[in-house]
Amino acid sequence: MTEQPRRRRFSRVARILSRTGDQVAVRRIRWLLGIYGLLIVVVFAQLISIQVVDADDYADRSVRQRERTITLPAVRGRIYDRDGDVLATSVDGATVYADPRAYRPTETPDGTPVPAAAAAADVAAALAPILGRDVADLTERLEQDAHFVYLGRQLDWSVGEEVEALDLPGVAVLAEPKRTYPGSALAAQVVGFTGIDGDGLQGLEAQYDGVLRGKPGTLLLERAPGGLDISTGIRELRPSQVGTDLVLTLDRDVQHAAEVAAASAVAEFDANAATVVVLEVATGDVLAMASSPGYDPNARIQDDQDAWRNRAITDVFEPGSTQKALTIAAAIEEGIVTAETDVEVPGHIRVASSTFRELSPTGEPTLTVGDIMERSSNVGTIRIAQELGDQRLDHYLRAFGYGSPTGSGFPGEASGMLMPPEDWWPTSLPTIAIGHGVAVTLLQLAGSYATLANDGRSVAPRVVLGTVGDDGRLKPVAARSGEQIVSPSTAHQVQGLLERAVTGDRGTGSLAAVPGYMVAGKTGTARKPATDGSGYSDQYVATFAGFAPVHDPQIVVAVMVDEPNPFYGGIVAAPVFSEVMEAALIARRVAPDGSATTLPAAMDHARAQALEVAEAAQASLDENPPPSGPGGASGDPETDEQGD
Amino acid sequence: MTATTVSPLRRDRVRPAAPKPRPDLRVVREPRPRHTLAYALVLIVLVGAAVFGAVSLNALAAAASVEARTLDAQVRAAERDYSMLVAEVASLEDPGRIRTAALDLGMVPAGPARVVVLERSLPADGAVAEVFDGGLDADPLKPLLSAER
Repeated sequence: MTEQPRRRRFSRVARILSRTGDQVAVRRIRWLLGIYGLLIVVVFAQLISIQVVDADDYADRSVRQRERTITLPAVRGRIYDRDGDVLATSVDGATVYADPRAYRPTETPDGTPVPAAAAAADVAAALAPILGRDVADLTERLEQDAHFVYLGRQLDWSVGEEVEALDLPGVAVLAEPKRTYPGSALAAQVVGFTGIDGDGLQGLEAQYDGVLRGKPGTLLLERAPGGLDISTGIRELRPSQVGTDLVLTLDRDVQHAAEVAAASAVAEFDANAATVVVLEVATGDVLAMASSPGYDPNARIQDDQDAWRNRAITDVFEPGSTQKALTIAAAIEEGIVTAETDVEVPGHIRVASSTFRELSPTGEPTLTVGDIMERSSNVGTIRIAQELGDQRLDHYLRAFGYGSPTGSGFPGEASGMLMPPEDWWPTSLPTIAIGHGVAVTLLQLAGSYATLANDGRSVAPRVVLGTVGDDGRLKPVAARSGEQIVSPSTAHQVQGLLERAVTGDRGTGSLAAVPGYMVAGKTGTARKPATDGSGYSDQYVATFAGFAPVHDPQIVVAVMVDEPNPFYGGIVAAPVFSEVMEAALIARRVAPDGSATTLPAAMDHARAQALEVAEAAQASLDENPPPSGPGGASGDPETDEQGD
Repeated sequence: MTATTVSPLRRDRVRPAAPKPRPDLRVVREPRPRHTLAYALVLIVLVGAAVFGAVSLNALAAAASVEARTLDAQVRAAERDYSMLVAEVASLEDPGRIRTAALDLGMVPAGPARVVVLERSLPADGAVAEVFDGGLDADPLKPLLSAER
């Protein structure tokens, strides 16, 4: 058993030893070829794996290494007023950021220690005066365990340039679109504002966010490891689409005049707030919509929130006596009265359990409808409304726009409050007839007066005139057609009645007069409902609504002053109306309607004034002759003659 | 017409070739020497030129890339300046700012406006006047109607 293996081993060794040199070489070459062949197989298999099996994966990796997709932010559309003046636009803001890793020692992957590029405190101290921030606050941010921290967002570009000039390690500046409002507080409640990320948050910025924001684009390109673009590589540009510009119906000059007047009223009458709406009669364009107090959207703070809202469309109030024009218009349209109809007006009238009295008793048993309007008679208006009835009064008030939004396109517009006649109390008819128990927005009130001014055809107020197309031209929004609410004859009669309220001897709106123009309008004074729903408070709302010129109405102005002192609409709101109406008529180049002075009369007046001044000066000289100088004569022959 | 007759070609009988005499020994000349050096030089020149060309093109491409980035940055800066100037113009035109500036300069608000109605013909009456209608075309600063905004 043991002999055979030993012999076999011996024979193998003998065979190896017996090989010649050539045989050994051949065998070695064969081995090498085998190994090479094996290596080639391995390499080829790997090649197949890379080029065929995992080809897509490697191609993707390659693309990811070379390609850079840069998001191109869309520039938000601008907001213009009706004359193309910019109310809101976007500029490049400087966003300063830092990589806090630069301010702490680190190690490379192979363990080599890397010292901090700079001390966080030093960097914070250098940035603090430029960014206007506290050094400790900046230091804390720079020492955060993060790769990226904002140090300031959407700052002025000049600030970014100052920061870049410092060339601080770990600090960089990024261009970021920043919304800016060049007019500061001008039309702030209408235009609204955007958030820091460019989303519309308030006003028309929120309502038309989808139109204004545009679409971001992308730039796909290949970059070398050094960061340079590979000019022969892929370069696909999908340009961002600029947001669509919005054109408003506002007139910047009229808006400014309305804001100044509203702010003056708040200051002068110690009021809670004041709101003004200016409408163009023919189109319903809102030329101004001002609320005071206002705010600056460029530097808004959370405490301003009460000032953010557009009171003209969000706040409702009882219109008070301004409502009487609509009640009487409905009665005239129904043929119940005319402007000359006599109405018995007792000192008070009792309806159900309530007694309605005149604020200023007339002492006359009858008044014409014109007198009722001029003196703002409660009892007279209630008598007329009783003839009209619930259903018809409700019908006309709704037709004038009460109880539903005007459709101006503004976010958050209130509907007002007008109960259906089925729910009315026995006292609702007289109450609503004189503007109580019903609530409207100032825009609704202005719209109803615009209907009267527009010969009885309803006017739909609008804030947005249109958008700017790709060709830079205005694309107007479709105008809504109006309906005939009352006949032109009725409207003309009411226009005449409202004129008496301003120009009549006993008119309550005499302070609303505008030099050179015939003005029509109506005052209103209403107590505010108590906040707990238990009736009325002791606070008032003063209103005035009217239009001019009377014979060809062009402009409607409505004013509401909240909680003024004193509280009468004729004292508080009428002067605001006059100031704003005058500015609007001049800004819109409306010709005077005949009450202006003629040229000869103006020249006579000027001549008379000059004569008066001259005579007064002469009398003053006669009484107190000027002292003569030491030399006697002054050298002026006329003076010398008088001196003689 | 008479056709020409052609007699068929007669083929000679193939005779067996006589055995060729074996060539005599002769001097074989050395093959002409190839100019390896020249080929190598040409090859080197070609390869060098190709490398130089590729490097040059790459350098030119890199330079063009840098220039493109510079131009991009200039365009962005110009657009930034333009948008800032638009905002600045609007800010300067703001009625509130103008009012404040006027008050600072000592101006006072105007008194009540007076309007005079012309009742008699003036020498210029009857002339066709160009009325400024407030159209936006009249003001090149207004971007609304400009396609190049």
